[in-house]
Amino acid sequence: MPEERSQTTMAVDELQAIIQRCQILEEADFKGEDFNLFLVAGQKCLEDGYAAQLLEVIQNEKNKVIIKNMGWNLISPLVRCIFMYKQEDDKREHCLRILDQLAQICNPKELFLGLLEQIEQTSGDQVCQTVMLLLQPLQTVLLKLQNKKAYSVGLSLAMIMNQLTSLPVPYTKQQIQEDKLGLCQCCNAVVDFAKPFVNEVVKNMEKSSEYNDMELKEELLKFCMKSLKYPLLAAQLEQLEGIEEHPFRHFATEIIDILWNIRELMPLVVLHHKSKSPCWENQEFADIERKNSADSLACLSYLMFVQHFGIECFPVVFSPAYLLLCNMTHIEVLLKRTEESALSKGLDLFESSLLRMEDNSLLHDYLEFRDFINVPQDLVKIMTLCPMEHLRKKSLSILQLFIDKFDTQGKYTLFRCLLKTSNHAGVEGYIIKNIKDQIHLSLTEYDNMWFTGHHLISLLDLVLSLPEGAETDLLQNSDRIMASLNLLRYLVIKDCESDNQTGVWTTLTKIEQNFLKPLRVGLNMSKAHYEAEIKNKKENRKEAHSSNTVCSVTVSGEKMPAMTTGMQLQVLHSALFTFDLIESVLARVEELIEVKIKAVMDDNS
Amino acid sequence: MRMGWGLSLHITPSVQGMSERVNAEVPERCWRHWGALGGEVTGLSSSVPARWCSMEGIFLFPCFTSLHEAPGRSRRVSSNTADQKDPAGCVHYYIVPLATGVQCLCKETMTTDEVTKSEGEVQAVALTERGEDITPAQDRGVLKIIKRPGSEDASPMIGDKVYVHYKGKLANGKKFDSSRDRNEPFVFSLGKGQVIKAWDIGVATMKKGEICYLLCKPDYAYGSAGSAPKIPSNATLFFEVELLDFKGEDLFEDGGIIRRIKRKGEGYSNPNEGATVEIHLEGFCGGSRFDCKDVKFIVGEGEDHDIPIGIDKALEKMQRGEHCILYLSPRYGFGEAGKPKYGIQANAELVYEVTLKSFEKAKESWEMDTKEKLEQAAVVKEKGTMYFKEGKYLQAVIQYGKIVSWLEMEYGLSEKESKASDSFLLAAFLNLAMCYLKLREYAKAVECCDKEAASKSRVGRAAEKAACEKGLKTPGAEDEEAEGHV
Repeated sequence: MPEERSQTTMAVDELQAIIQRCQILEEADFKGEDFNLFLVAGQKCLEDGYAAQLLEVIQNEKNKVIIKNMGWNLISPLVRCIFMYKQEDDKREHCLRILDQLAQICNPKELFLGLLEQIEQTSGDQVCQTVMLLLQPLQTVLLKLQNKKAYSVGLSLAMIMNQLTSLPVPYTKQQIQEDKLGLCQCCNAVVDFAKPFVNEVVKNMEKSSEYNDMELKEELLKFCMKSLKYPLLAAQLEQLEGIEEHPFRHFATEIIDILWNIRELMPLVVLHHKSKSPCWENQEFADIERKNSADSLACLSYLMFVQHFGIECFPVVFSPAYLLLCNMTHIEVLLKRTEESALSKGLDLFESSLLRMEDNSLLHDYLEFRDFINVPQDLVKIMTLCPMEHLRKKSLSILQLFIDKFDTQGKYTLFRCLLKTSNHAGVEGYIIKNIKDQIHLSLTEYDNMWFTGHHLISLLDLVLSLPEGAETDLLQNSDRIMASLNLLRYLVIKDCESDNQTGVWTTLTKIEQNFLKPLRVGLNMSKAHYEAEIKNKKENRKEAHSSNTVCSVTVSGEKMPAMTTGMQLQVLHSALFTFDLIESVLARVEELIEVKIKAVMDDNS
Repeated sequence: MRMGWGLSLHITPSVQGMSERVNAEVPERCWRHWGALGGEVTGLSSSVPARWCSMEGIFLFPCFTSLHEAPGRSRRVSSNTADQKDPAGCVHYYIVPLATGVQCLCKETMTTDEVTKSEGEVQAVALTERGEDITPAQDRGVLKIIKRPGSEDASPMIGDKVYVHYKGKLANGKKFDSSRDRNEPFVFSLGKGQVIKAWDIGVATMKKGEICYLLCKPDYAYGSAGSAPKIPSNATLFFEVELLDFKGEDLFEDGGIIRRIKRKGEGYSNPNEGATVEIHLEGFCGGSRFDCKDVKFIVGEGEDHDIPIGIDKALEKMQRGEHCILYLSPRYGFGEAGKPKYGIQANAELVYEVTLKSFEKAKESWEMDTKEKLEQAAVVKEKGTMYFKEGKYLQAVIQYGKIVSWLEMEYGLSEKESKASDSFLLAAFLNLAMCYLKLREYAKAVECCDKEAASKSRVGRAAEKAACEKGLKTPGAEDEEAEGHV
């Protein structure tokens, strides 16, 4: 024990010694050596647990000049110590007060760099803790800075956001509540950190419109854009039951408030289609910038139009079609992503933009915009390929919504496009069902030229055909074929040959040639093939086993078990069942055609 | 009892014996008459209870606001009402003659909400009664009353950038939006479907400086869908709009070409560079017409028909059927050279009236195969050289640019094709650089040299690059050497 005491007094003594030596020196006479001794002694005090004594030294008015010059050195050991002590430890409390004192006393320039260095060096679990610990002193220091303040604020915010970006964003309710790494808390602390600077910009803008402090404003704008991309784009922003103050919703509100206060919100939302003019020398930078801001702007639109953050300041005179047009760019950006957070935001934004529109009110002219053709194709990709079922379902319902909004010519064009591009029998079947509904409308409610007569015939050419004639894989295409047959059945029942409103009777020979005949042939071939296969399987069960290991199938990383012969037989039977189904509808259609033609011939004779 | 405008009486607020004759229907009728007389009542929300008193033939209008002008002319009632009460506790009333048949009435205190509500109602009622139907379909979907006539006679045209201040209210008087709350005018392009239909129709009828009221039926506003979160389904909207200013559309944001559309075209697709267009045009300079013709040509080659480059550029932003006026600065007109053929001096500003009758788009790069591209490259290179020699650098840039867009990203060429392609690209980049030097666009010139140098490492191209950089440092020092490649 005595030994230990002597050691500790040694640490404090050393510090006292160097302090006393420096007390008599002028500020300008401090040498590098003094800085070193001060650091070593101070660090030792901290390490040995003599924070209280160190605090006393720092608070001593006589030492002010020394601390002012050398204090920033202590930041690094200080932060280390603070993390060592438990929350309720007195020593931790002392350390925090030392930090506070240093922020008040030290030269802002050096301390600023010292603090920034600490933030830069932290990583992993400690990021949020460190940032939250240092935000307050950093703010104090920045407010004291005379030169390059805007730059320093920008640097701090960028550094902090960069560090945070490496952390996973809590997504589920449980994760948000738990906030394991403290990200939720930290983000909101960063906004509070930025607030005095926002106020400064606001004050300056009020003072005069020409006040030329664009720099700080630019830095804050950059911070907001970054925040929109991370964490907001990756976060779950729906209201969650049981969480009163959703941390990310709160964060989002604050970010939008900042944008509004620095008068950048409207230009971002309304004028984004005009390329804003940060002239980059290098094309590559400009591209990166554009790409980065595309994500941020998409998230901003989501926040405004879906979550209604900041919507109270948004003009209520824009037409819904124009808003859809503006949002389409963002929707496209979001739907090209694969993460649930971005995809679901894109779908929500698309849905809400469409819900603002009346049915049948979107002019077909809009399809001349590339986005309006690309986005439905992205939707098809999601509904056929996305692993998340709720997103698949949602994208299908949105596709229907999109179709509903177009005028008839628009629907017509869209159907053509989707039939040609979807490459998926299910989707094609769905479109064909839609075509049937439109024909029904035009036959029963109001006449329109796009789903009757020659326009319809050219569309029917596309629908009532087999992509590869009789060799088409009927099983693969069964959805499409069934929908086509249903459509044809509807047409021959609904439209009398004498009326021929739809024009289907005119083109009947072509339909028979391109569709019904090859389908009949294909059905016979397929049925014969599958029947033979079943017979085979039944006869050589054993042989089938050994020859079946030609390839294996993996689904989402898991190898599917090899099929047993029983299962194979089941599959083959279900295929046969599908063929039967097709055949029965086909037979019904042929029968209907025959009856109708006969009736007409009888009438004539 | 009939008295003139602007007389005021002192009447004690609670008129004896009148309160039992309050009739909920009547105030509105009074309002209607008030409205019919052209009155506007804004800013009535105040702590002073509003009392309405009317006798046969007279409508008493409480005058706790500074209503200086007689109703029937334009006026704005200030909302500073709190201290307007007479010290004696009397309220001043304006007396307004009414049509006969209105019974005496007295409405007891209204809440603030009711006041705003009736205020909205009065405007709505006035609009319904007197508003001019400005819809093309004459279906009373948009009704307009001019509150303050414009200061100038000019109205904005389609495509113009329009600056307005406005305030919007729902039928219940609730304000849903105001540009003044945002402290900046609202800007939009007129007639392009950017705003609700009522606005595209309404603002087009306004004169500069005019303030008007618009009453918009849902079909001309947000319809049954509404506009979440502020506009409910099937809402009729009321707007007060002030047209602050408008200007023609600045097509390239450089003031070089200003467009004003007389008749909107169809759809959204435009001719691209190389598209074949059929147009009618009339050219004016200093008020006199120098050109009038129907002409068919390829976009980018208008020069062959004595059409300045600005028309080519503007055509790429026009739609089929569009009829517009184009104001060209000299840079987009005939420039320093002028046009002796038409008697046009150097640096003359031109005005053209153009109708795009029809067009056929040029094939996009991805629609052409390599053979076609190489064949065309030879043609356009020739064409570019011709323009270059005539000093028509902007036109030359278009031609050389085509070669780059066709061949720069072309892969999978045979050796022979590759060689041909390389030589076309080489010439294109160098000639582009030359053109840009002549046009004093030095950054672009350097970019062309860089690209050229990057794509060809086999020959030392540093010389050209250096030449261009020299051009960059000393504007005007043009390097004739590179012309050797033309």
